[in-house]
Amino acid sequence: MQEEIIISGFGGQGALFSGQLLAFAAMDSGFHVTWIPSYGPEMRGGKARCTVVISDQEIGSPLVRRPSAAIVLNIPSMEAFEPAVKPGGVLVVNSSLVPQRSERTDIRVFHIPASDIATELGNIRLANVVCLGTLVQAIGVVPLEAVEQALDNHLPERHRKLLGANKAALRRGAALVGG
Amino acid sequence: MMGDVACAEGALAAGCRFFAGYPITPSTETAEHMAARLPEVGGFYVQMEDELGSIAAVLGASWGGLKAMTATSGPGFSLMQENIGLGIMTETPCVIVNVQRAGPSTGLPTMVGQGDMQQARWGSHGPYEIIALCPWSVQECFDLTVRAFNLSERYRLPVLVMTDAEVGHMIEKLVIPPAEEIELWERQRPTLPPGQFPTYQAEAGRLVPPMPELGQGYHVSVTGLTHDERGYPDMSAEAQEALVRRIIAKVQENVADILDWQERDVDDADVVVVAYGITARVASHAVREARAGGIRAGLFRLITAWPFPEARVRDLARQGKRFVVPEINYGQMSREVERCVGIETPVLLVPHAGGDIHESGEILGAIRTLVSR
Repeated sequence: MQEEIIISGFGGQGALFSGQLLAFAAMDSGFHVTWIPSYGPEMRGGKARCTVVISDQEIGSPLVRRPSAAIVLNIPSMEAFEPAVKPGGVLVVNSSLVPQRSERTDIRVFHIPASDIATELGNIRLANVVCLGTLVQAIGVVPLEAVEQALDNHLPERHRKLLGANKAALRRGAALVGG
Repeated sequence: MMGDVACAEGALAAGCRFFAGYPITPSTETAEHMAARLPEVGGFYVQMEDELGSIAAVLGASWGGLKAMTATSGPGFSLMQENIGLGIMTETPCVIVNVQRAGPSTGLPTMVGQGDMQQARWGSHGPYEIIALCPWSVQECFDLTVRAFNLSERYRLPVLVMTDAEVGHMIEKLVIPPAEEIELWERQRPTLPPGQFPTYQAEAGRLVPPMPELGQGYHVSVTGLTHDERGYPDMSAEAQEALVRRIIAKVQENVADILDWQERDVDDADVVVVAYGITARVASHAVREARAGGIRAGLFRLITAWPFPEARVRDLARQGKRFVVPEINYGQMSREVERCVGIETPVLLVPHAGGDIHESGEILGAIRTLVSR
């Protein structure tokens, strides 16, 4: 078993952090895990993405060209990674910011208004966690509870007051995955 | 934990209590973590004005009796070269972590490279030996930083931890052993009292002199000039020969203690992939794919790049094996492989200019090319 997940967006959208949550959750569930970031020299904005590999064996390359699942938080990420997802894989699209729809039929695509849901929950910056909830539910490798545990353990002190909202965002995202 | 942070924790576990640095991507997390952690353990963190000052302060702290380190990346590593030579000449234990990024010059500041491997060996002027270690995982960032301190203390020289932007920024599981299970080597201190001990007098039959500590009453003379056993400048070819020969011998005559590498599926292999750092991760995958396709391939992973495990590589070449060397540069350690195996043995470089890592297919392709040749 090996899942390779790319989470991509603008710097500040939480792509790197949501990937860390997934990595910690998988590590605590007993898997081999790598998390690796990719970003430019900008302090704000710019492209930011991370690759998370979850495996039941030792992981070779921590970077992949063709992920088995992806979260795209903005239009440039959609253009880069929608075509890259492996057949049979999962694509989660933040449809609040990405108007185009994937026409691929060989993967499972979830167009979810993550930024709108996040705003509804009180903070637009929760959009990353809404998407993570959808992805985790869709790929089913780690239980949602493990991600909640990762939030408990790793949410930075300054964002502690948002712990409940983060968990709510995770659940809302997960609930969008039918049956 | 992140690789860069694991280097910092490894340093602390090894007893490092001084860090001077000029933070630079992709090594910044090491400095950041040391800034937070050193005051907690009674150590010192100094934010310096540049990399020249950083390495100078590290050498000074080591003579002051502390285990000391800095962390940098390509451009900063270039700036440190002169004082790395000073550390060699004055036999000053310290550790330098170089989280390699893509160059030349500013290059791709946030992205991976492995282009400093020969600079690590020859970057400072004059004849010398160096020790350079190459972690390929977060666990090894910790373990090899501990080992770097141990080697620097035992052999009294700057030891380089040559990681890269991918290993440095990668988060993986790290197991930190209990402190009592971590073996630590400490520099030998003089047994003669102050006034009787010359600064650089090795005991009979030994190559590494005991190191006095400033402020303990010893008359300590430290200079980058060629010097005698008292540490006094001696401007003669004879003094130069004696000093440089000993500085080189203390590494060359102890390679058995220093050398480290890992072999996977090498014994029956027709093609051996020699790799290090993040590239060895990709290579391990390529070797697995080759085996799955019926090709007898193996992985020879450099853990010490310098000194280079040349006797073992020669031995493998004598057995008729062929070599593939993928690295994120245009041929650096591949030259060392070529030097060792001789002109008859095929060595195929798989170069990459940096900014990304190899695809395993590129390495697999090179393995196939060599098999069919």
